[in-house]
Amino acid sequence: MPRVRAGFTPAAVAAIAAITTVALSGCGVGGTSSDAAKQSVAADAPLKGTITFQTWSLKNDKFTPYFTGLVQDFETRHPGTTINWIDQPGDGYTDKVTSQVTSGSLPDVVNLPPDIAHSVAKVGGLLDLTKNVPTLAQDYVHSGVAAYGYADLGADSYGLPWYLGTDISLWNKAMLQRDGLDPAHLPKTFDDLLAQAKVMHDRSGGKDYLMSRPPGLSDIVNSGTALMTSDGKKFAFNTPGAAAMLDKYTAAYAAGYLPSDVLTSTYEGNSALFNKQEVAWTTGGGNYIQSTQQTNPSLTPLIVPSPALDTAPLYVQGVSVAAKSKNLPLALAFAEFVTDDTNQVNFVKLAPGYLPGSAASANNPAYSKSDGTAQGDASVFAYQDMQKAVNFTPPVWTDAMNTVLNQQIALAMTGKESAKQALDNAVNRADQLLDQ
Amino acid sequence: MKAHRWYTPWLLTAPALIWLAVFSLWPALNTGVLSFTNVHTLSGGQFIGVRNYVLMWQDPQLRDAILNTVIFMVVCVPLLTFLPLLLALLVQRTLPFMGFFRTVFYFPVIASAVVVALIWQWLLDDRGLVNGLGRQAGLIHHTLPFLTDRWLLLSSAIALTVWKGLGYYMVLYLSALGNVRRELHEAAAVDGAGTVRRFCSVTVPGVRGTMALVSVLIAVNAMRVFTELYVLGGRTGGVGGQDVSLVMLIQQAASGSDGRIGYASALSVLLFVLTVGPLLLLARWNRRTD
Repeated sequence: MPRVRAGFTPAAVAAIAAITTVALSGCGVGGTSSDAAKQSVAADAPLKGTITFQTWSLKNDKFTPYFTGLVQDFETRHPGTTINWIDQPGDGYTDKVTSQVTSGSLPDVVNLPPDIAHSVAKVGGLLDLTKNVPTLAQDYVHSGVAAYGYADLGADSYGLPWYLGTDISLWNKAMLQRDGLDPAHLPKTFDDLLAQAKVMHDRSGGKDYLMSRPPGLSDIVNSGTALMTSDGKKFAFNTPGAAAMLDKYTAAYAAGYLPSDVLTSTYEGNSALFNKQEVAWTTGGGNYIQSTQQTNPSLTPLIVPSPALDTAPLYVQGVSVAAKSKNLPLALAFAEFVTDDTNQVNFVKLAPGYLPGSAASANNPAYSKSDGTAQGDASVFAYQDMQKAVNFTPPVWTDAMNTVLNQQIALAMTGKESAKQALDNAVNRADQLLDQ
Repeated sequence: MKAHRWYTPWLLTAPALIWLAVFSLWPALNTGVLSFTNVHTLSGGQFIGVRNYVLMWQDPQLRDAILNTVIFMVVCVPLLTFLPLLLALLVQRTLPFMGFFRTVFYFPVIASAVVVALIWQWLLDDRGLVNGLGRQAGLIHHTLPFLTDRWLLLSSAIALTVWKGLGYYMVLYLSALGNVRRELHEAAAVDGAGTVRRFCSVTVPGVRGTMALVSVLIAVNAMRVFTELYVLGGRTGGVGGQDVSLVMLIQQAASGSDGRIGYASALSVLLFVLTVGPLLLLARWNRRTD
């Protein structure tokens, strides 16, 4: 009986090699080019043809008339142009944009927040606007422009600031008064908050809560800690200040000042708990009170706004131009049109509590005048907070890093690790992820 | 009668073969290739040899993920192999309302895994029904942290999986029990065999083929556990990520616009290897007992 040879025959080896080669070509392994991102768009090129403009969760009764008018206005000023406006739903926007980039179908002009823009810009998917919008620094607010500049991508900028938001504090007056707290003397710092959380807990017999969220990046920054080293190459938030902050949260959690489920999957978020009147404090945008008038009118008269505790977070929305757009002159012109001062001011009129990203209007004193209502006060607080608000999240901060940080914070708050150990672990793991 | 042409069998099997090649074979091969690269969601990446496999062993969560997944499988396989058989023996009898009970036992199978897990989440919450009733009945004096304690959460997820799977495997056993000849039971009874002896010597050998199939199905499903742990433990995999499973780790690695596709692929290859091992053992055990 002939022996069967062990191992692969030459034909089998060739077949495996062929399959592997085809697989390699399919997996997209290979470098990416940033040439498209660096190209210059002729400023005097004639504007004609068709482009697509994508917004994020802005197609509704409130904003649709604005965008319809905006597109019509542009098309009237530039005969021969057509702007197709599309809107993506709020959930899963990152995945949607990711699939658009990988399939080469990113719209010509697209509304992107800085973190998603960073991911797209890294693979050369967005046009460098520093080069193509010479007046970028003068026309737009500095904090907004800075949000679209990334240390790992040089001095370029990849988004035109569109509208800016921040968080203010919102309090339930009835709950405060019920537990002997004075709505006229609201907490201004994290330590004030802790002190009043204890009072509310003690006076309500543990039934009412003031605090209802675990700490995150914003708390670390507010503890006076820089998230990264000065060269931006390593994380460095495992400082004594951050550990002390985490220790305070841990003590508060152990004492029952926070709902026990803030670390579990049943946690609904502090905003949801505030809306259900189970907690007396939340953070929210400057239009929070206005939105509760539609969703929870019985709560609206009970809300008292105040400035954010410590430093407020800065949220930026911008408009970017796809580097692979087949009609770059028109795309760039429309992006500038959407974000010019007039259109930004008109847009923000529909969204109280937000500020335009155009330099000419961002500091308009009109935004600092309240009409005397709680919503009016909230808008003014948002305006005031915005002047010193900080974008807490570094562009290199990924979902995976956030998961690690949340896991380590939970371990610290449940006493399974010390705060120092948890932060050390989070920093080490985040550095590992940064290198991958 | 006209003979078939040589390509007729290929033509008939072509749709299935093409489907298999495009949606199973090709992705599997591609996953193997990607595991040797540092491809991210949006960037092409480069070949990095076995670096992803080295990184895996430096991942502090991998040990927990493997341990949780293996525990899940080791506990679920015997429970879901034998409990549905006992249940099938109960509802096999022709008694009044037995059809109703069969439907009730099967009901969790048709319910969405996410909906079922959410219901269990509410039941097991600190302020949920289980803790509430336990306190009222004086059985517990402190809240049982089903959703924050590592082992309680894992046990809860196992209990949920067993409860949800019972009906499905019960139906498989009902079909197999129909093929066990009644005469064998009668002969064994005449020879003086009691209920337990008849179960061991007649029923089990009669459904052994189905038991092997059920074991394999459970083992594969247990190695891929995701929904139960994700819904009960949250996206971080329980407090501190201690209840993460291998599939959750893959999902975490690959999600977001900066998802590490190369690393997630390496984890997928590991999952494949870990799944094939128990399957071979089960196949070997089945051959031995034949």
